[in-house]
Amino acid sequence: MDSKKIEALLQKYWNCETTLEEEQQLRQYFQHEAIPEPWKETAALFRYFEENKKKSLNDVAFDSRVMTTVQTSKRSKMVKFFYNTMRIAAGVTVLLTATWFIRNEVRKTTPQEMVDTYDDPKLAFEETKKALLMISKGFGTAETQTRKINMFNEAQEEIKKKDTKL
Amino acid sequence: MNIEAFQNRVLPAKNKLFRFALRFLGNEEEAKDVVQEVFIRVWNGREQMNEVQNWEAWCMRITKNLSLDRIRTLARKQTHPLETGYDVRQETLSPHESTEIQESMNRVNQFIAALPEKQRQVIHLRDVEGYSYNEICEILELDMNQVKVNLFRARNAVREKLMKINAYGL
Repeated sequence: MDSKKIEALLQKYWNCETTLEEEQQLRQYFQHEAIPEPWKETAALFRYFEENKKKSLNDVAFDSRVMTTVQTSKRSKMVKFFYNTMRIAAGVTVLLTATWFIRNEVRKTTPQEMVDTYDDPKLAFEETKKALLMISKGFGTAETQTRKINMFNEAQEEIKKKDTKL
Repeated sequence: MNIEAFQNRVLPAKNKLFRFALRFLGNEEEAKDVVQEVFIRVWNGREQMNEVQNWEAWCMRITKNLSLDRIRTLARKQTHPLETGYDVRQETLSPHESTEIQESMNRVNQFIAALPEKQRQVIHLRDVEGYSYNEICEILELDMNQVKVNLFRARNAVREKLMKINAYGL
């Protein structure tokens, strides 16, 4: 390619009027041919573009890494749903077991008398009767004891009567 | 799109996406991370892909957005300040190639890295990747005028610096 054509193309290039093909021609020209001194720096620019295009992602494992990530993300919706369900289930289980144990513990520590019998009216009636009987038995004992005291009272009264008669 | 189509059609675009992300981030590891994330996004959004006319431009657009997000989080975390994190020497090909032309190519790299972000994106997409103006519009979500103005400014900023080197032999 003669230098006049290159000159013209360069002028177009700086004015952003070149097509992609013309830009490719420029890159090729500066890549291969012996470059005249005044264009040395311009050549560096075009070689830089060409060189930069060769720059690649040099990581052998990159493709396989992306593919595995992509393939796992394919299943991930199902997996995520499963994991979330399991998480909630585990939480609920822990809560239920804890409640059960605490309830047991509370039952053990509460005295037996306190255990209610409200849900069975017959049993409740029996229990009440038992309690009342216990009270009345107490009353009975107390009565006999007070009767003994009464004896002293009566004796005192007798003595007082005799005293006034005399 | 099934997994084979993804592997055969989308995955080979990785180098283009990588170079584009690298242009933003200037760090190969970060760029690689971004590209991986792009592929996962593309896979998850594969239903939309049938409606997308140019899937490559679509991938490039996702790369752009994720790279910008990454820049923002990096700036917020301030673990790697981008100014110091942008190591232009990484672009060096190999030590034995450090000829004169190699040195001026490194300078070109610095010039381009110093351009404002939009100009850097446009000149990369046009001159490195060889995209048409329409595709660049689609990738960068800009109108034709903005793309051309940015390309013009980018090319001429680089040209000016190159001419300075020629004139003063810097």
